[in-house]
Amino acid sequence: MTKASRQPMLLGTALMFLAAGTLFGCKDSFLTDAAAAQGVLDQSVLANSAGVEGNLIATYRALDYTNGVNGSQCTAASDWCWASVPSDDAYKGTEPTDFTALNDIEGYHWSTGLADGVLNDKWRAIYEGVSRANATLTLMAQVVKDKPAEITATDQKGITGEANFLRAHYMFEAYKIFGNVPYLRETDTDLRKASEPKAQVGADILKDLDVAIANLPTTPRKGQVGRATQWTAKAYKGKVQMYLGQYAAALATLKDVVQNGPYALQPSYDQVWTGFKAYENGPETIFAYQASANDGEPNGNNANAGERLNFPHSGSPFGCCGFHQPSQNLVNFFHTAADGLPAAFSLEPTAATWNADNKDNTGTYTAAMTLDPRLDWTAGRNGVPFKDWGLHDSTWIRNIPNGGTYSAKKNVHEKASGAQSSVGWVNTQLNSVNIHILRYADVLLLLAEAEEETGDLANALIHTNMVRNRAAVKAQGPGTSTANIAVPITDPSITWAKYTISPWTAAQFATQPLAQEAVRTERRLELAMEGQRFFDLKRWGVMQSTIAAYINGVGGGAEKNRRNYLPSAELPGTKHDNYPIPSTQVELSKVGSEVRVPQNPGW
Amino acid sequence: MRETREIAMEETVPRRQSFRNNPLRVLGAIGMSMLFSMLFVGVAMAQQVAVTGTVTSQAGAPLQGVTVRVSGTETRVLTNGTGRYTITAPANGALNFTVIGQKPAREEIGGRTRIDVKMEPVTYLEEVVVTAYTEQRRADITGAVASINVESAARETGASVLKRLDAVPGITVQTSGSPAGRSTVRIRGISSFQNNDPLYVIDGVPVQDTYINWLNPADITSIQVLKDASAASIYGSSNGVIVIETTKRGASGPPRMTLSARSGLSSPTKGLDDILITNAMDYFQVMKASYANAGRDIPTNVYGDPNNPSVPAYIFADPTTNPTLDSFGRVVAVDPAKYSYPRSLIMPGSAGTNWWQAVFGQRAPVGDYNLNVAGSGEDHTYGVSGNYFDQKGTAVYNDFRRGSVRANTQFNRGKFTFGENAAFAAEKSYGGMGDPGGYAEDGIMGKNIMMQPVIPIYDIAGNFASGKCVSCGNQTNPLKFAYERRNNINRNNKIFGNTFAGLQVLPSLALRSSIGFNQNSANFKGFNPATPENSEPGFTNSFNENQSTALDWTWTNTARYNKQLGQHTFNLLAGQEATHHQDRRMDGSEANFRSTSQDALYLQPSLGDASTITVTSGGGQSALLSYFGKADYNFQDKYIASATVRRDGSSRLGPEHRWGTFPAFGLGWRISKEGFLENNKILSDAMLRFGYGVTGNQQIPSGRIFAQYGGGGGGGGAIGDTYYDISGSNSSVVPGFRQTAIGNLDLKWEENRATNIGADLALFNGYLNVIADFYTRRTNNLLFNPALPATAGVASAPIVNIGKMQNKGFDLSVGHQGEKWNATLQGSHYKNEILQIDGVTNFFYGPVTTRFGNQVINKVGQPLGAFYGYVADGFFRDSADILAHAAQPGAQPGRIKFRDVNGDGKITADDRTIIGSPHPKFTGSLDLGYRYGNFDISGTVFGTFGNKIFDNQKEWYVFREFSTNVRKDLLANSWTPQNPNAKYPRIDVGDNFSSALSSFYVENGSYVRMRNLQLGYNVPSTLSRWLSATRVYVQAENLFTITGYEGLDPSLPAADVNGAGGDIRDQYMGVDRGSYPSSRTFSIGLTASF
Repeated sequence: MTKASRQPMLLGTALMFLAAGTLFGCKDSFLTDAAAAQGVLDQSVLANSAGVEGNLIATYRALDYTNGVNGSQCTAASDWCWASVPSDDAYKGTEPTDFTALNDIEGYHWSTGLADGVLNDKWRAIYEGVSRANATLTLMAQVVKDKPAEITATDQKGITGEANFLRAHYMFEAYKIFGNVPYLRETDTDLRKASEPKAQVGADILKDLDVAIANLPTTPRKGQVGRATQWTAKAYKGKVQMYLGQYAAALATLKDVVQNGPYALQPSYDQVWTGFKAYENGPETIFAYQASANDGEPNGNNANAGERLNFPHSGSPFGCCGFHQPSQNLVNFFHTAADGLPAAFSLEPTAATWNADNKDNTGTYTAAMTLDPRLDWTAGRNGVPFKDWGLHDSTWIRNIPNGGTYSAKKNVHEKASGAQSSVGWVNTQLNSVNIHILRYADVLLLLAEAEEETGDLANALIHTNMVRNRAAVKAQGPGTSTANIAVPITDPSITWAKYTISPWTAAQFATQPLAQEAVRTERRLELAMEGQRFFDLKRWGVMQSTIAAYINGVGGGAEKNRRNYLPSAELPGTKHDNYPIPSTQVELSKVGSEVRVPQNPGW
Repeated sequence: MRETREIAMEETVPRRQSFRNNPLRVLGAIGMSMLFSMLFVGVAMAQQVAVTGTVTSQAGAPLQGVTVRVSGTETRVLTNGTGRYTITAPANGALNFTVIGQKPAREEIGGRTRIDVKMEPVTYLEEVVVTAYTEQRRADITGAVASINVESAARETGASVLKRLDAVPGITVQTSGSPAGRSTVRIRGISSFQNNDPLYVIDGVPVQDTYINWLNPADITSIQVLKDASAASIYGSSNGVIVIETTKRGASGPPRMTLSARSGLSSPTKGLDDILITNAMDYFQVMKASYANAGRDIPTNVYGDPNNPSVPAYIFADPTTNPTLDSFGRVVAVDPAKYSYPRSLIMPGSAGTNWWQAVFGQRAPVGDYNLNVAGSGEDHTYGVSGNYFDQKGTAVYNDFRRGSVRANTQFNRGKFTFGENAAFAAEKSYGGMGDPGGYAEDGIMGKNIMMQPVIPIYDIAGNFASGKCVSCGNQTNPLKFAYERRNNINRNNKIFGNTFAGLQVLPSLALRSSIGFNQNSANFKGFNPATPENSEPGFTNSFNENQSTALDWTWTNTARYNKQLGQHTFNLLAGQEATHHQDRRMDGSEANFRSTSQDALYLQPSLGDASTITVTSGGGQSALLSYFGKADYNFQDKYIASATVRRDGSSRLGPEHRWGTFPAFGLGWRISKEGFLENNKILSDAMLRFGYGVTGNQQIPSGRIFAQYGGGGGGGGAIGDTYYDISGSNSSVVPGFRQTAIGNLDLKWEENRATNIGADLALFNGYLNVIADFYTRRTNNLLFNPALPATAGVASAPIVNIGKMQNKGFDLSVGHQGEKWNATLQGSHYKNEILQIDGVTNFFYGPVTTRFGNQVINKVGQPLGAFYGYVADGFFRDSADILAHAAQPGAQPGRIKFRDVNGDGKITADDRTIIGSPHPKFTGSLDLGYRYGNFDISGTVFGTFGNKIFDNQKEWYVFREFSTNVRKDLLANSWTPQNPNAKYPRIDVGDNFSSALSSFYVENGSYVRMRNLQLGYNVPSTLSRWLSATRVYVQAENLFTITGYEGLDPSLPAADVNGAGGDIRDQYMGVDRGSYPSSRTFSIGLTASF
C-alpha cells in the first residue's frame, strides 16, 4: 500500500474515533433527549384553569362510561343491566346464547364468573368517575395554591360544587348496586381504603351533596345546561334521602325543589325521551347524560354506546340487537280499567286479572282494549307505529320465545330528529338522545311518596296527579310525518289502541296504604324502563316478594309460563339486596391477609 | 435491553395481484445486475498436468463439493458425488482442499497425476463462532452457547428464520401457520412479566423484531444462541442473545454462483371440518336436544317440524320479498324479483356448508428462489444475493411475498479493513391474518367455528350470505371476511445493515468501528365492508390506512488486544456503543365510501362521508448508551477464564437510575487435558464450564417515568373518553382530560442473575458429542405494572421494579456426526416460578378478560400464566347428588360439578384455583440424517411434553355460545341419564353454568411432530456438465403429528396482547383462541453451483 493512499485512511479512521469520543462525551443529553413521552400532555400543561375545567368535563363524561371498560354496555348511564333487566320491567331479550352474562343477572345467579365480569365493569366505571372528580379537586387545589389568580373565586366554588355533586352521584351508583363500598375522597391517598357500611355510604353521599349545595350557583355555570346547579344537587339530595328512608328530611328537601326550583314537566310525555333538540334539556331535565352524535368521534362513543344493544332487531330500520325487551308483565301493567285508572290497582275490579294477557305469539292488541298512552312511548308493540319509523312488527324481534314481542322504545330517537350517528358499529343504534338520570316527574313522585309516608295524603294526590295528567296529553300517532308522531290521545288517526287515562281520586288516596300503592303504581308507569325499578323495589323492601310474584304469578299471569328460562331463575333472597362485590376487587383490596373490601353478606 | 422494534402487523386479508409493475420484480432485476457486475475471473498460466483423484472422509466416505484449488491461483474445481475431481495444475504446484466441516488439506503435486485425499473433520471444539462482538473458538467459550444447525433450519420453508429456530435445546418458538405470522422465541423460560424477546444481533446490529420476515434465511451462514448470562451479558440482554451472521464468505477463488429454488404446496395439518359438524340435519339434532333438554320450545323457523325436520328451502327472506310461511313459520316460497341488495335479501338453506373447505380448502403454493454469488481474493471477500419468496396462506386470499437483495463485501488493505453488510427487502403481506388477541371470534378462525352448516355461502343473487335467521348466530361469513380484505396489504420496506472499518494497529491490537442502520418504512391499508347479510347487520363500510417509519442506528466501537505469552493467552476487548431509536406513525380512517373499488379507497372528503375522516399520529424514541469490556484468559487450552462487564444507560429509566452495571464471568476447565484423562478411551475431550452473570432489562415503553395526561389513551381515542357535550348541543363536545398513565421517576433496571454449569464432552474419539448445561436464572426488580384496585381509576398503573421470578432448568444435546449417518438428540426443561409480585398482593390476572372472566392468573409460587378456574369434578348425576354437593348456582343433573375447594359448602369465586400450566415439562427434538451414495435423507422430529392447553374454543364448539357450530361428537358423547360418565355435559340451551371457566377446558397439549423430512440426490457431475454440486430434493414438513389434543393444532402461537407496560403475550400462553393452524408442506427443490 502506498503512503498516499494510507494517509486519507488514517485520517478517516482518526476522525471516526474522534466523532465517537464526542458522542460518548455528551452522554447525558443523548439519553435525556430521548426520554420524554411522545404525543401526550404532562401535568404542567394542565396546571391551570383550562386543565381543571377539562378534568371536570371528563368527570361528567364518565356518566356513561363504556369505552374505558372494554365497551361494556352494563356501564351505561341508564343502569338498564342493573335496574331494569333484573326487575319486573324487562327481560334481557334477544337470544338465549347472546351476552349470557345478562342471563345470570336476570336469573339472579349473581355469583357466576359471567356476572362477576359485568359487575366488575360497572365497579370500575363508578370509581373512574370518582377518581376523575377527585383528580379535579386535587388539581384545583394545586393550581389555586400555585397561581392564586388563575381561577376566579366564583369558578372555584362552582368547580368544587360540581365535582362534589358528581362524586356523590357516582357513589350513589355504588350505594344502589353494591351497598357496602369504599368512599374515596380527594384527600385519600390509600387506594386500598376499607369499605364502609351501606348506611355510612349514604350519609357520606349526603355530606358531599351538602358541600355541592353550599357551593353551586342556582343556574348552570357558563350557561352550559349539562352542568349541575344548586337545584340539581338539592333534587338529588331529596332522592338520596328517600333511599335512606329519611322521609321527613326528604319531604323538606323535595318541597323546596318543587316550590322554589326552576323545574316543570314537559308539556307532553313524548318530549321526555327524544332525539329532538328542541325538547331536550327542557324544564323537566334535572340531570342527564348529554349524549352527542357526529361530534368528530370516529366510533360514536359519545352517542349512547351503552344503549346500542337496546334497539329492535334485524327486520327493523335499526338492525340490531333486541336487548332490554319490556316484559309482558310491564306491558299488562299499562292496562287501564273502565274508570281510566290502572287495572292493576287493588281497588279496581280488574286487579285479579290485569296480568292475564299473553300476546307473545300474536302480538296484536285489539283496538278495544283500554291502555295508558305511556305504554306506546315505553314499549314497541306489533302493529303500533314506532315513533316515526313505521309499524313495529314481529320481524323486528330477534327471538320471540326468548324475549317476547316488545321492544325498548325510550332510548330510540325519532327518524326526523337527526339524532342518529353516522359512524360507529351499527350507526343506526347510536344517537344523541339524552339519558335522564334525574327528571322532574321523578322528583314529583318522590315528593308524593314522602308526603304519603309522612301522612300528607292530599298533597300526595296532587303531586301524583301532576304526573298522571301530563300522560293524558299526547299519544303515539301515525308517525308518518314529524307533525303526527305525537297526537292527542283521542285522535281519530289512532287505530291500534284505545287510550284511556284518568286522574287518581281521593278514593285511592283515602288511606296511607292505598296512597302508597297508588304512588308506587304511578312511579312504575311513569319511569318504566328507565333504570329505576329494581332499586325502587329494594328501597321499598318489596323486591323479593315482587320478583317472586312476577315469576310465579300475579294478576292472573306468571312470567315463568311466558319465558321458558325463568323457571330456572333463583328467587332472590336477602343477599340479593346488594350485588356481590366483584371478586377481582375483593382480591385487589387485600393488604397482606386483610381484606379491605370484603364480600357482601351472603355472597 | 434494546429498542423495541415491533412492526405493526395489522389484521388484514388478501387477493392475488398482478405482478406487472411490481417493485419486487424490479428488485429482482436490480439484484441480478448486481450479481453479474461482480463476475470477474482470475486466470492462471503454467506448465500443466491433469490431476485426478478422490476425496474421502476419514472413514472413507466420498466427499462431494470439496473445493480443489491450485495453490496461489484462481483455478479450482469441485468434487462430484463420488468424491472425484479432475484439475489441470502446474506439475510442481500444490492443491488445496477445502470444504465446510473438514480441516483444510494441502497436497504437493510433485508430478503426480493421481492424488487421493483423506480429510479430517473439524471437531466441534475447533469450530469458530461469532459471539460477543468478535469471533471465538468454541473451545474458548465458557458460557452456554449453542449453534443452530443451519442445514436443518434450511429444511423449513417459513418466511422468517425465527420459525426455524427451535431445534436448539433451551429455545422454544411459538408461531402460527400464517405465512407472515409473528414468532415468539424464548430462551430458557421466561424471566419477566413483559417482553421476553431475545436480542437479535444481525451482522453486529442489535434488532428487536418478532417477525424478521425481511431477512432472507438463505443468506444466513451461522446462528449462535447465547443462552446464559456469562455469554450474553456483553450484549446486556437478559433474555438471551441470538447472533446471526449473513457473511457468506466465498471460498477463495473466482465467483461462484449458487442457484437454489424450492417450490411446494401447503395445506393445513388438520381442518375444522375434521372436528365440527358439516351437515345441517346433524346440527339440528344438537339444537333440538339443546332446547328440549332445557324444556323450551324448539325453534321451527329453519328446520320446520322438530319431529320431521328438513333442510329449509330458505333460511331467511326479507318481509318485503313476500315470503310465504308454512305453519312452522319458515319461509317456503318467495318472490325472487323482490330481492334487492342490501335491504331485501333472500338466503337459501344449505344441506351442509363446509365452511372450513370454503376458506382453507385449496392447496397453497410456496416458492423460494435464491441466487447467490460469492468469492474472495487476497484482499477482499464478497457475497451478493437476491431472493424472491412467495408463500400463500392456507387460508384463501392470504399471501406473503418478499424480495430482497444483499451485498456483503470486505476489503483488506494492509492494516485496514473496511466493508459493509447491507440488505434491502420489500415485503408485502396480503390479509396478514395475525395471531388472535382479545376476542378471537373477530378473526377468520373464530368466524369459521361460528357459522352453522345450514347457512349458505351465497344468497340467491350470488352475494355473500350469513346467518340472518333467528337462532343462526350473529357472525360474519368467514369467506366474505377474507374476500373483502383481499386487498388489505401490509408493506414493509427495510434497509438493514452496517458499514465498518477496522485498523490492525499492532499485530496484537485491533480497532473496529461499525455503524449499523435499520430503516423501516411500513404502510397498511385496510377495508371493512358493510355486512347487511348479518343477523346483526352493518350498513357502513370504512377504510383505514397508516404509514410509519422507523430508524434505528447503532454505533459500535471496539478495541481488541490479543497477546500470547508462552502458554498464557490473553484476549481483551473494550467497547462503547450508542443505539438510538425513533419512529413516527400516522393513521387515518374514513367511513361510508361511495365506491368500494380499490381505486376509490383513499382518505378524501368526496369519496366517503367527509365528517368521518379522522387522522392521528404518534411516535416514540429511545436511546441506549453502553460501555463494555471483556477479558479472556487461556492457559494451555486447559484453564480458561473470562470476565465481562457492561455498563448501560437507558433513556427509559428514571434520571437517577439510568445507569446499570452488569458483570459476568465464566470459568472453563478442559479436564481431558489433565494427565489422568490423557488418552482416555471414553472421554476424548471434555470441558467443564461454570458461568455467572447479571444482565439487565429495560424493555418497557418510553416515557413511563412521567405521568401522562390526555392523548390517545383509552379505547377509541380521547374524544370518546373524556370529551363531553356539556352544553347539550347534541353534536359537539368540549375537551376533557384525564390521567392516562401514572409515572414513576424511580424506574430502574430489572436485573437477572444467572448461573450456568455445563460440560462439553466428546466421547469415543468424537463418536458422540454431549453438551449439557444446568442453570438457574433469577430476576429481581422485575419491571411491571401491578394491577391497582379500581379506586385508582383506569389510568395505566405505574411501572415499578418489584417482582421476582425464577427459572431453573437444563439443556442437553447428544449428537453423533458420522460419515454415513448423523443423529442429534436435544432436550430441555425449565421450571418457571413467580417469587414475588408487589409485596402487597400475591396475584394478578392475565391480560385477557373473557366473557367468563380470567382464565389465566399470575400468582406467587406458580409459573407465569397459569390457568385458573374451577375444578370440574364430572357431572351431577341426580338431585340427590346435587343435594350432597356444596351449593352451586344452577346445579342440575348433567351439568358440570365444580369442586368446593375452600370447603365452605358453596361454590363461589373463592373456589377457583390453579388448574394447569402452559409451560412444557420437556421439549426435545431429534435430528437424523443418513447418506447412501448420492442419496441422503434427513429429518427432524420435535416434541413437547407436559404442557396444558386451555381450549377456549369450547365456549363455541361445546357450549354453543352465540349459536355457533359444534363438535361432531357432541350429541353422541354428551351427558344423558344413560350416559352419566360422558365426555361433555348435557346439551342444554339453559345451561349458563357449566361453561364457567374450569378444568373442563384444560387439555393435555403434548405433541410429537415430524417437522421436516428431506430426501436429496446429489447429481453426479457426469450428468450435469455445466453445473457442479447440483442437488435435487423432495421434502415434507409437518408430515404427521401425534397428540391427544382434540383442538385444531396443539402448536399454538402466543396471543397478540399488549398492556400498558408493553408486550405481555407470555401471560397468555397456551390458550387456544382459534389460531391459524400449522401447514403440511410438500416441496421440491434444486441447488446448483456454477
